[in-house]
Amino acid sequence: MKYRIVHTTEYTYQAPVTLCHNEVHLRPRDFSGQRCLSNTLDITPPPSILSRRADFFGNEVGYFAVQTPHEQLSVTATSEVQTEAETQLHFQSQIPWNEAAERLARDLHPNVLEARQYVFDSPSVQAWPGLADYAAHAFPPGRPLGEAVHDLMARIHQDFAYDPDFTTVATPLTEVFEHRRGVCQDFAHLAIACLRSRGLAARYVSGYIETDAPPGGVKLVGADASHAWFAVFDPDLGWLDFDPTNNQIPMDRHITTAWGRDYADITPLKGVIYGGGTAQKTRVAVDVARIE
Amino acid sequence: MTRAIDNPDLIARYARVPGAFDEMFDTEGGVRAPWAYFSSALQALGPGEFERRRGEAQRLLQQSGMTYNVYDDPRGRERPWALDPVPLLIGSEEWSEIESGLNQRAELLNLILADIYGPRELIRKGLLPMELVYAHGGFLRACHDTGLPGPRQLITYAADLARGPDGQMWVMADKTQAPSGAGYALANRTVMSRILPSLFRDSQVHRLSLFFQTLRNALAALSPQQEQNPRIVILTPGPHNETYSEHAFLAGYLGYTLVQGDDLTVRDGRVWLRSLNRLEPVDIILRRVDGAYCDPLELKPESRLGVPGLVEAVRRGNVAVANPLGSSVLENPALMAFLPAIAEHLLGQPLRLPTAASWWCGQAKEMGYVLDKLENLVIKMIHPRSGERPVFGAALSHEEREQLRARIRAHPHLYVGQEALELSLTPTWTPQGLAPRRTVLRSYLVTREDGYVVMPGGLTRVAEEAPNPLVSNQSGAISKDTWVLASEPEKQVSLWPQPRFRPALSALRGPLPGGAADNLFWMGRYAERSEELVRLLRTALARHNDLLEFGDADIEQTLHRLLDALAYISATPAAPGGPNPAAAHSIDARLRHLILEPQAPGTLVSNLHHLEGAAYRVRDRLSRDTLRVMSDVSSRLLALEQAKNGNLVELRDELDTLLTTLAALSGLATESMQRGQDWLFLDMGRRLERAQLITALIRAVLVQPAPQTTEDLLLESLLRATESLTAYRRDFGAHPQIDTVLEVILLDGANPRSLGYQLQRLQAHLDMLPGETDATRLGEEARLILDISTLLRLTDTHALALTDPQNGTRADLNDLLMRMDEGLRALSETLTRHYFTDPRGPQQLQPAQAEPAT
Repeated sequence: MKYRIVHTTEYTYQAPVTLCHNEVHLRPRDFSGQRCLSNTLDITPPPSILSRRADFFGNEVGYFAVQTPHEQLSVTATSEVQTEAETQLHFQSQIPWNEAAERLARDLHPNVLEARQYVFDSPSVQAWPGLADYAAHAFPPGRPLGEAVHDLMARIHQDFAYDPDFTTVATPLTEVFEHRRGVCQDFAHLAIACLRSRGLAARYVSGYIETDAPPGGVKLVGADASHAWFAVFDPDLGWLDFDPTNNQIPMDRHITTAWGRDYADITPLKGVIYGGGTAQKTRVAVDVARIE
Repeated sequence: MTRAIDNPDLIARYARVPGAFDEMFDTEGGVRAPWAYFSSALQALGPGEFERRRGEAQRLLQQSGMTYNVYDDPRGRERPWALDPVPLLIGSEEWSEIESGLNQRAELLNLILADIYGPRELIRKGLLPMELVYAHGGFLRACHDTGLPGPRQLITYAADLARGPDGQMWVMADKTQAPSGAGYALANRTVMSRILPSLFRDSQVHRLSLFFQTLRNALAALSPQQEQNPRIVILTPGPHNETYSEHAFLAGYLGYTLVQGDDLTVRDGRVWLRSLNRLEPVDIILRRVDGAYCDPLELKPESRLGVPGLVEAVRRGNVAVANPLGSSVLENPALMAFLPAIAEHLLGQPLRLPTAASWWCGQAKEMGYVLDKLENLVIKMIHPRSGERPVFGAALSHEEREQLRARIRAHPHLYVGQEALELSLTPTWTPQGLAPRRTVLRSYLVTREDGYVVMPGGLTRVAEEAPNPLVSNQSGAISKDTWVLASEPEKQVSLWPQPRFRPALSALRGPLPGGAADNLFWMGRYAERSEELVRLLRTALARHNDLLEFGDADIEQTLHRLLDALAYISATPAAPGGPNPAAAHSIDARLRHLILEPQAPGTLVSNLHHLEGAAYRVRDRLSRDTLRVMSDVSSRLLALEQAKNGNLVELRDELDTLLTTLAALSGLATESMQRGQDWLFLDMGRRLERAQLITALIRAVLVQPAPQTTEDLLLESLLRATESLTAYRRDFGAHPQIDTVLEVILLDGANPRSLGYQLQRLQAHLDMLPGETDATRLGEEARLILDISTLLRLTDTHALALTDPQNGTRADLNDLLMRMDEGLRALSETLTRHYFTDPRGPQQLQPAQAEPAT
């Protein structure tokens, strides 16, 4: 599939901002299932300095600074992406999950070692005691990894209400857990926390999703916005993606922008501003159009 | 209990602890060789003299303003730095072994640091468990591949050393982030060489200055621009930090500018220092802020101590940070368990200095051992968060031990068990004579072209109480100088005579960060306000004396008016004119309140506290003499607070002494301070404050006319309080007239206490401020001062003296004074806005939530 994605973020400030430093994760990644054909960044007012590099996790991160006073900042990323429907490995993931965890703890194979960093707590995903119990049902010893994670995904989808008014990016995971509601980011974080509590490596994936329903299909949640899901590591097969918000395995209609330990590692746009007063207004618009 | 002074034989009375290693005495009770000279000299001095020298040391330290802040101390900051006059002595032979061991360790840690932020081979090879890096809070992913360009990453390093019962020196902890204490070691040395000059000289002690020279070289060599005179700053978390006074001390000693995060800004990918309204490039940052807090953009977003964009500036190679951001990943007690194998692998050598035996719980067998032997071990976190301290298994109850075991089982990779070492003991001076105290030595290293240089000495700390196994300043320990003995006398090296190290002239006139300008300005204001308050209070106390003597109603009336005026100008309750509950109070109580009430903002003691605070925050920029006078101010303040229950005569005596001290402070500023920007802001603060006080005082005393006798007394008091009485009598005769009094204290350009004079000076100072970048901006201050000066000069004092028949007040005078006050306030606000810290500090953009409503 080929997509054209336009992702616009606009900030309007109460008072002029004299200087801002920003980081963006807005370029879709290249990997076996996906190729980013083009990616442009339009920033108004034009930044005095703009550079791109690979971050610690191999995602492209852009840095820019606007050094002239401004009351509005607008960042638009336009990307063309080719996705391939890869063979689903999820049901070949037959390794017992506890064995996968043991392999992770011991194996010095570069891929396993690389994955092990996703076992530990991270800035937005910290384990707490009650969590392991929630995940326990899906993880009886010896259960194949793919099946167990599928079960976990289904549970989260079933137990948690999708409620964009309930959480913000600052809502702690414990609160999401207690009230059983949240958005895609929360569900991904929750699944990641559960998996890590089992000693498994889980990472956060941010991106987009094509929401136009195919004839007879179901309209997917996450339209007009960025999306997020998670992936789990199988020591033999590699990373397997799961989308708990839609209770499905991401295929060629999920477009991956970046992955990291959690949202904090790969925030689409973050920044520090000087000035701006006490109030900021934010507007985000995402358009995902299939072009081929 | 016998005091030491009663028994001259210090050595004979020393109670050794059986089984423990004593630094001074061998197991037979004989004095160890390096201590021979010192112990005989100590005996010769005798306890009385030694005690006197100890007192002298404490006095010198207090004067130098060295403090150690304790976070949860109710007295807040500024616990005086405690120095024991008995140093730790180390012989040259033993030292050279320690030195080579430390050198090796620094080289090794440097290689590990480079590997962690580069290829991470050690992890791949299985020599370093990846948890120790990836699960350690000091590992900053954003800083991957942003290392320093030179041959070494680890610029400064410190090791905590301790000696076990067998006499072997062990490494207890590695400090790789921003090792603190080298400045305290230097301050200790300065004091010791003054209190025991001949003993110090004859002991052939290695000097410390060469170490600091090497530090300067090492930092200068990092300059990304390869400039002749790179700008180096010390980044401090600020006055609340526990070792702030050390940061200030080092900045002064090394000639670097002391800055906080807000003083720096990143533009065009480089770091700039906001100096008044200019931006000056910064090449090298010696940081005392924890790495994770240095950049709210890429590191901890909640940090208020950092500089947004700093990591990017480092990444671009436009600024060098020492130690590099992320270096605290090496401050990990679990690392110790793996160092021997890594040393073999990287250096092909065994570790020369042994490390306390450590068991990292991330390995099943080791965890089993730690859980099993908890009673005998010290349990540490691989990356303790602030406030988390090592736990001694032996000190825990059964229940506490079980809880700890559960915590370890839940996150085994975060815990490490370490052998509890019985630390050696060093004789330490106590009121009862010499007593053994547990000892830890922090040793400092800095890099140079061909390796590392170890400070020949260091910061020794001993426990306050004998049995305490924990030695850390946060739990209140005493420091010692460390004397490494040279085999032959050494030449004195000072930072100053070497032309290479002479600070450029610009260091003296160097940049003035907005925060420092702000504090200097307020230091000037509080100093002036305190001084004027003391003068007025003395005038009031003199009138109070008259009252007691003559019991005159006019005097009583005058005194109440004066007290109202004092209350008004110091903004303590009971302004004149309004309902006045304080008038009912006894005069005695009102005076005491104005002097002593610590809770009310405008009283004398609270002004003095503010003065202390402002001076503390700019102490790196103050001369030694100024610091000494400020230390006197603190002592006077304490004496004043202690005299609070005494009679008014005693208070008056205290005020007299205080006035002398405050006058010395202003005298120093006038006579011995370089007329640079620092002085400019200090003096503007004084001038502005004095101008506002005169305005407020006249307003409080003269706007409301009083009966003739009272008014005469008030005029005289006014002249007295403004130190203009003698001049007035000379020019106008003994009997004060309101118009001529106003002439003298408002207009007289030759009277250094008149309002007109203050405005003249302010105008002259404003002209000297750098402002060429933005002409319209300077205009604002110039216009404000021009406005009120002109108004004042056009004034007719005869008209001012007249009473408005409508409302019975001197309305013209009131109008003029109100406009003066408004102008002066506006001027102060404008200065604040233009030159001091930007109130619109950096803030985070609110992140857009992934997936808003559909």
